Amino acid sequence: MLDGTTPAVEPLRTGTADGADRPGRRRAVVTVAVVALLAATPLFLGPYPVTAMTRMLAFAVLVLGVDLLTGVTGLPSLGQAAYFGVGAYTAVLIGIHLTPDAMVQALGGLVMGLVAAAVTGWVAVRARGIVFLMLTLAIGESVHQLAGTWSTVGGSNGLAGMPPISLFGGPPLTAAGFVYWWVLAVAVLVFAGVALVVRSPYGRTLRGIRDNEARMRALGYRPALARYGVFCLAGAVAGAGGALWAQQARFVSPGDMGFEVAALALLSVVVGGPGSLWGPCLGAALVLLVRDNLSPSIGGHGPLVLGTVFIAVVLLAPRGLAGLTGARILAAARRRKENPS
Amino acid sequence: MTPLLELRGLTRSYGSLTAVDQVDLAITRGERHALIGPNGAGKSTLFATVAGTLRASGGSILLNGQDVTALPEAERARRGMVRTYQHSSLFLDCSVLDNVALAVQRVHRVAHRCDRAARRFRRTEAEARRHLDSVGLSGRTRDKAAALSHGERRQLEVAMVLAAEPALVMFDEPTAGMSAAETERFVALLERLPEELTVLVVEHDLDVVFRLARRVTVLHLGRVLASGPPQEIRADEEVRRAYLGAARTEDLFTEAGGPG
Repeated sequence: MLDGTTPAVEPLRTGTADGADRPGRRRAVVTVAVVALLAATPLFLGPYPVTAMTRMLAFAVLVLGVDLLTGVTGLPSLGQAAYFGVGAYTAVLIGIHLTPDAMVQALGGLVMGLVAAAVTGWVAVRARGIVFLMLTLAIGESVHQLAGTWSTVGGSNGLAGMPPISLFGGPPLTAAGFVYWWVLAVAVLVFAGVALVVRSPYGRTLRGIRDNEARMRALGYRPALARYGVFCLAGAVAGAGGALWAQQARFVSPGDMGFEVAALALLSVVVGGPGSLWGPCLGAALVLLVRDNLSPSIGGHGPLVLGTVFIAVVLLAPRGLAGLTGARILAAARRRKENPS
Repeated sequence: MTPLLELRGLTRSYGSLTAVDQVDLAITRGERHALIGPNGAGKSTLFATVAGTLRASGGSILLNGQDVTALPEAERARRGMVRTYQHSSLFLDCSVLDNVALAVQRVHRVAHRCDRAARRFRRTEAEARRHLDSVGLSGRTRDKAAALSHGERRQLEVAMVLAAEPALVMFDEPTAGMSAAETERFVALLERLPEELTVLVVEHDLDVVFRLARRVTVLHLGRVLASGPPQEIRADEEVRRAYLGAARTEDLFTEAGGPG
């Protein structure tokens, strides 16, 4: 795989901590602009598109967790939908029985996602590659089955009747725009947190495991420990995403944590560019857009479109959306460097 | 004084094949020890067994007088025994700096910290850059390891190994596949290693061996054939025979198409 790549594409694949200050400032400007633009959308768009974007943001949070595992640590997972579902159920149960406070629900989703990942993860992290993938699939399907048969959480009907969320003890937030802002705020927070992890020494450790686990052991690392840590972290992130998802829908059913969700999350990472953070977020938006908005208008052939996109990405842009623009920017920079005018 | 590394009757077998057979060896602190032997002598197996990549079938390995035979590779590395690989084993998709920083941050016990960006851990960053400097790679810190030449990858390996602050470094055929110029540069690099560092090197290139090593151990068919200073090994009749094959070349023909 490495032989075929030109050096031009490589330095942008993962946010290495070695970035110079100038691109760092540019990145900060772009980030602020994007967040401002996202924050402004409810002012321009109607309730339906805003609701659709809320769902994309919640799904993007799940995808960030999958990217931590798949892109950064090199552990492709099909089990993250389980922790997403655990987070969603937790938020709905808190909403119905305890409090409409959005923060408590989100925090509850995050903690339960973490706990669920911690309980199930120690089995999965012993394996790598395809075995890891199958183990996570087994975990995902088991939790999915459990949700579908356990009557306390509504069985296959799911849980409905969650009251609208509120913040700081204020009035219920029923307007789509307010829910959107709340979800956006949490999504940005999670993004920042994941970005920090990726840039930290721990992120470096994870990339080391992805690239060469045997060498990590020879350097005195215990990779299984670091893998378990990131699995729990990804579970927490997925749980937070699930809570946000449920807060928007005010309903949760086993369908929200099935194989399809897990597969779409993994697809988003692949399409977006594993290891990059904004790429998979874009991928998440694209995947949900096709599934929820495009698919009904083309006679339900959304999966066909997604399949085509997937094949196109694998063949034409192995580093996903992030790799595409990264290569272009870098090539331009190189040209400028070679012929300084 | 206890030797830094001591092997007592170390054995490793694959089924009925005994690749390493009852090897006894003692390496004192600061020694430069070379392990040589013809192909299939068991050098690489011995090496991997000592490092912990392979499990010993019998005998024991003592590091600093402590039995480490049962310890996994990572634990041996933590106790100061660090190996390199015959084929460069790097983190190819990471930057050159990250490669060395991975070794440093483990020693500095910050490998699992995620409260701030890695470059804010100044001591770790500075140490990593110092090691890159010492092997002449300071100009390439931001390149991906995959972009380095074969020789540069070997230099990076040395930086990584030293950054792990070992007491004993084990090089597995470090100059394999190098050009003459690269070999020369590499040997010079090894000659500059700190005095107190103990080095065990498996090497095919006998010129390199006789230049670097103060003691040489010859392995043949999994057993120690001879062990001693380079001059002694050079003169040893048995070693010559092991390397050049049995006696005279005409024996090869008499056996196959013999008079019988």
